[in-house]
Amino acid sequence: MKENLKRRELPLLLSIVLVFCILGTIVYTVSRKISREMSSSAIQNVNESLDLIQSTIEAILGSEAEFQVLIAQEIARVEDPEAYIQAYEKNQTMSKMSLILFGKTSGVSNTGEPFTEEGLDFSAGGTVKGLPVSQSYLNYMGTWSYTMKCPIERDGKIIGTLYAEYVYDAVDRSLPDGFYNKQASLYIMDAESQRFVLKPKGMGQRNAGHLNLADFYRANNIQSPEIQAEVEACLKNGENLLFYHDIRGVNALNYMWAVNGGTVFLVGYVPVEAIQQEGRTVNQNIVIVVVSMLAAFFLCILLYYLNWKQQDKLRKEQEEERKLHSQQLAEALQAAQIASESKTTFLSNMSHDIRTPMNAVLGFTTLLSMDAENPVKVREYTKKITASGQHLLSLINDILDVSKIESGKVVLSLEKFSLNDVVSSVDAIIQPMAKAKGQAFHLEVTGIRHEYLVGDETRINQILINLLSNAVKYTQEGGQIWFRILGLKQRSSQYEHIRIEVEDNGYGMTPEYLETIFDAFTRAENSTTNKVQGTGLGMAITKSIVELMGGTIEVFSEVDRGSLFRVDLELRILEEQIDRLFWEKQGLRRVLAVDGDPESRKSILALMKDTGVHVETAANPEDAIADVRKSGRDYQLLLLDRDTCGIQGIQELREALPVPILLLVEVGEEEMEEALQANVAGILTKPFFVSAFREKVAELWTKTTEEPEPGDSGSLEGLHFLAAEDNAINAEILAELLEIEGASCEIVENGQLVVDRFRQSKKGEFDAILMDVQMPVMNGHEAAKAIRSLEREDAGRVPIVAMTANAFAEDEKAALDAGMDAHVAKPLDMELLKKVIRQVTQRKET
Amino acid sequence: MKKRAVYGPRRWAAVLLSVAAALTLASCEGHEDPKNLIPQVEEAKTVVNLFSPMEKIDPDAENVARTASDLTVAMAEHALGVTVDYNTYTAENYQDKTYDEVSLDRARNNMDDLYLLNPDTILTLGKEGKLMDLSGLDSAKNLRQVVRTANTVDGKLIAIPQEVVAYGLFVNKDLFDRYGLRLPQTPEEFLECCRVLKENGIETPVGANRWWLETFVFAQAYAELYNGENAEAEIAALNSGEARYSDYMRPGFEFLQTLIDRGYIDAEKAAVSEAIEAEGPDFLAGKTPIVMAYWGAANTETAYGKTDFEMQVIGFPSALGQMPVIPMTGLAVCVDAEHAEDAAQVLNIMVSDEALQIYSDNNRVISPSKNVKVDCVPALKPLNDRIEAGVYVLGSNAGMNVEQWGNTCLIVRELLNGATVDQCMAAFDELQDAALNAAA
Repeated sequence: MKENLKRRELPLLLSIVLVFCILGTIVYTVSRKISREMSSSAIQNVNESLDLIQSTIEAILGSEAEFQVLIAQEIARVEDPEAYIQAYEKNQTMSKMSLILFGKTSGVSNTGEPFTEEGLDFSAGGTVKGLPVSQSYLNYMGTWSYTMKCPIERDGKIIGTLYAEYVYDAVDRSLPDGFYNKQASLYIMDAESQRFVLKPKGMGQRNAGHLNLADFYRANNIQSPEIQAEVEACLKNGENLLFYHDIRGVNALNYMWAVNGGTVFLVGYVPVEAIQQEGRTVNQNIVIVVVSMLAAFFLCILLYYLNWKQQDKLRKEQEEERKLHSQQLAEALQAAQIASESKTTFLSNMSHDIRTPMNAVLGFTTLLSMDAENPVKVREYTKKITASGQHLLSLINDILDVSKIESGKVVLSLEKFSLNDVVSSVDAIIQPMAKAKGQAFHLEVTGIRHEYLVGDETRINQILINLLSNAVKYTQEGGQIWFRILGLKQRSSQYEHIRIEVEDNGYGMTPEYLETIFDAFTRAENSTTNKVQGTGLGMAITKSIVELMGGTIEVFSEVDRGSLFRVDLELRILEEQIDRLFWEKQGLRRVLAVDGDPESRKSILALMKDTGVHVETAANPEDAIADVRKSGRDYQLLLLDRDTCGIQGIQELREALPVPILLLVEVGEEEMEEALQANVAGILTKPFFVSAFREKVAELWTKTTEEPEPGDSGSLEGLHFLAAEDNAINAEILAELLEIEGASCEIVENGQLVVDRFRQSKKGEFDAILMDVQMPVMNGHEAAKAIRSLEREDAGRVPIVAMTANAFAEDEKAALDAGMDAHVAKPLDMELLKKVIRQVTQRKET
Repeated sequence: MKKRAVYGPRRWAAVLLSVAAALTLASCEGHEDPKNLIPQVEEAKTVVNLFSPMEKIDPDAENVARTASDLTVAMAEHALGVTVDYNTYTAENYQDKTYDEVSLDRARNNMDDLYLLNPDTILTLGKEGKLMDLSGLDSAKNLRQVVRTANTVDGKLIAIPQEVVAYGLFVNKDLFDRYGLRLPQTPEEFLECCRVLKENGIETPVGANRWWLETFVFAQAYAELYNGENAEAEIAALNSGEARYSDYMRPGFEFLQTLIDRGYIDAEKAAVSEAIEAEGPDFLAGKTPIVMAYWGAANTETAYGKTDFEMQVIGFPSALGQMPVIPMTGLAVCVDAEHAEDAAQVLNIMVSDEALQIYSDNNRVISPSKNVKVDCVPALKPLNDRIEAGVYVLGSNAGMNVEQWGNTCLIVRELLNGATVDQCMAAFDELQDAALNAAA
């Protein structure tokens, strides 16, 4: 992929480089061309300037010569030429005028002194307009000058020679102040002596190089023999010369310009920068334009790149999103397929599972109709029909639970509960089941610091029963089942951190199944477990409830080795733990507990901490006896572990400390019997819980005064009910069942009729109203409200019990909200109904 | 947010491009003057011409004296709004007119406004009345008395220097040390040093030129006059003719004759050599251990400011020990020059305390102003110590009726060209007589 990209990028890169190379070459060529043209133009310009200066100087020399000829003519006309000369005053141009008459060697000057030609060198042969001009010299004024001589003719005869001395300062005054912005330097050199007779005058113009041509060469390092030879040739031939040479590190155009046919030269240099200012500006502008264009180009590329990058990012995000959607869709499809498959399987299972008990119900009903005369068989059949019905009911309950959990309708009802009650009720259910399969059921509770907690007891029970019943179900006969409740380290002082472990050494599960164990509608199936009946919903429900409680559930399992389910829950500790007053009231202050298991001792101490009862512990009877004898403490109660003390130990302790003894025993009838033989005041099943202990203490302390109540749920004998039931069969069953219980009942078909009937009834005619909820004309809730709103004295008091197939918690709440006193779910459990009726009637009475 | 991120740079780019385009367009627009296209010319400034010698040695070497002087000129230009132009001259060779001759010619013909003049020229032009009286300048008030005395003619202060020029012997201390020689105090010690040096293979121990050998003469001639208590009386005797200049000058001339005779000086070469040009390279190369030069040469790269050996500058040998010789150069204003007043103002600034401080800081020289102090380079310490102690002789004195610096120089040249000491003394007598006659 990368190579492919490289293969694509390389030609593109090369093309860009090529384009830039071409562009660069064009720019360079154009710039060079401009430079050349400018340079050539600049050279032309220098030429013209120098020509101009040359012309100026030549014009001055010419004027001077012409002037001198005119003076000579004038002198020729005067009588006394020498007197004329002496009378002539010097001026700015002409510093001295002298005359030597023909045939003489000396003459006169206008400066006064005698004049000879000595010191004037005309040997070079230079002339100005035909007048010989001398070599330059420093005159009497200390300035550079030259002399021209002119013959004076009178009547065709030469009568003398006129010498006029001119100073270069006159030329200087006529020259421009400076050219090329005063960057060019200009000397006037006498060709013959090669002395510089006129020099630049600005500040700093006192450095070396002003003396003569040799000094100029030396100062400006013009040592190339070729250049010097060319200069020599120019000097000799009176020609002009322009050449490039660096002057003190600056590239300069040097010139040597002949004036007056080469008697005088203009010498100097001008920096190339000064003459090519325009060229440089143009090139600078070209560079600016090129740089701006490049900057714009790169800016465009940058913008394009940023845009492309943005688009690419968006595209990638969209792709990612699409991929995610596809994946989600695929997953959803898979999930749907799995769900569909599971539901198909489930339906198939359900079909099987429902048909099986239904088959039993219908089968036994057939048998019942046939053997109706045989009461033994009738009882047996009805028992089996009941069992099948129970199974069907639990099946339906599970399905409803799953449905509710999945739709998020489950609401926890948080109430105070005692761990003791949970353990007792679970133990009561599981122990017989395990016993029936010959399994050993071990119950351990350790590390619990608080017994009274807040939570949904029913749901916790449901979790435990699900796990334990599974353990029983999926463990072979004679197997082992362990049920542990462990108190973990508290994370918050307000919450008890509990771990529940259910372990067995049963069939175990495959790793594959472990992955789906908490999914609904799955059930471990193999040849061994095929015979196990169940909905396959139990674990899904369990997990959902645990998570609803904010807990976690884990499972570890190996095939043929067994399984371990671990549930961690955090349950709020009940703030007002135990009624301290109870213990004070009972007068129980000191208790001695003897237990060989240190964990148990710790547990007892922890649990009893808040009761205000002082508990001492001993590991064995001997220690306990020693402690009693030594300290002489007046323990009021002995709490002895049966296994630790044994019959002998109990006996000895009883002798040592004659106080009531409560015996802690493992759950099991044999042990119970044995314990009873030990003649103790009471028996507590392990594990130790304060609530159970409290009950026993209450029993012991009030044994003499209180008699146990006869019957658990009481009887409905003689009670008269008003019932609303729109289903005729159900109405009949209800009437029959109540009749069996010795009660009577008047049944109406809807809520309106109930209201009407109650309105018409006498006060106290009905002991309670049993109200179906879903009915035509007026439903149960409305009817209850209507009854409660009747203007009768007993309208508010008459017990109303909802009796409905709507069995959820919210249904119960709705019933209570409508003013009913209790809620009983259909199908009717007569024991439950009896209990409820008894409760509501008693409550109303009190 | 995303949208902003996407469009942010674009918006900025657009703004930047717009600004760039606007600026480009704006820069293309020219400022056109509809009336006159000639660039405005600065108003013509007054030009003050300064006549001074040009540099002849090395165009790139740093001449601190010149740099220092240029700084003060720039100061004056800035302060007065004038332009100072340099007219320069330096003789090409000994056959050319000398700088002094040209300055005389130019001053006499009013060619320049301001002149840098040697002592003899100052005296000559001063006596001719060609130089302006500068005593009225503010800066003149700060001058040391010795400077004022040396440059006053007929009660007029006619020149003001930017430095007090002290002449001394520049010796190669390394060579002296090599041959175990002490720096000489007296003429005898000097001759002994020369003998040892010559014996050690140094052909000409003293490098000389046609200008400065007279310093030996002045040191011996006037050591006692200027460092005694009767200077004024002795000068008065000379001016009245009671004493003869030749009597003072003779020991020095005889001493020079000895140096020539023993080959310690190459007289023929010296007679045609310009200052520093001839003897300088050999001195710097370590071939000639002794030369004579002015103070500033020790600071100037074009002279002896950068030597590879330890150089010491000492006074000339005399009976009173090492003797610095101080002639007075100076800047003078030509009284009839076109811009004489402007030139006087330029000079006033060039010799102000502020300017002289700059000058001395750059050049490390003795300042003519009593208010300006400066440290000298280590090589000059021996010479400076003597001057600070008040031990020196003047090379020029406007109070003497015979000009000293120029005349002595010319007479020494005669000696170099083969004249005898007696002939030279006769020349002095002639000069003195001429002066006495002129006064009479």
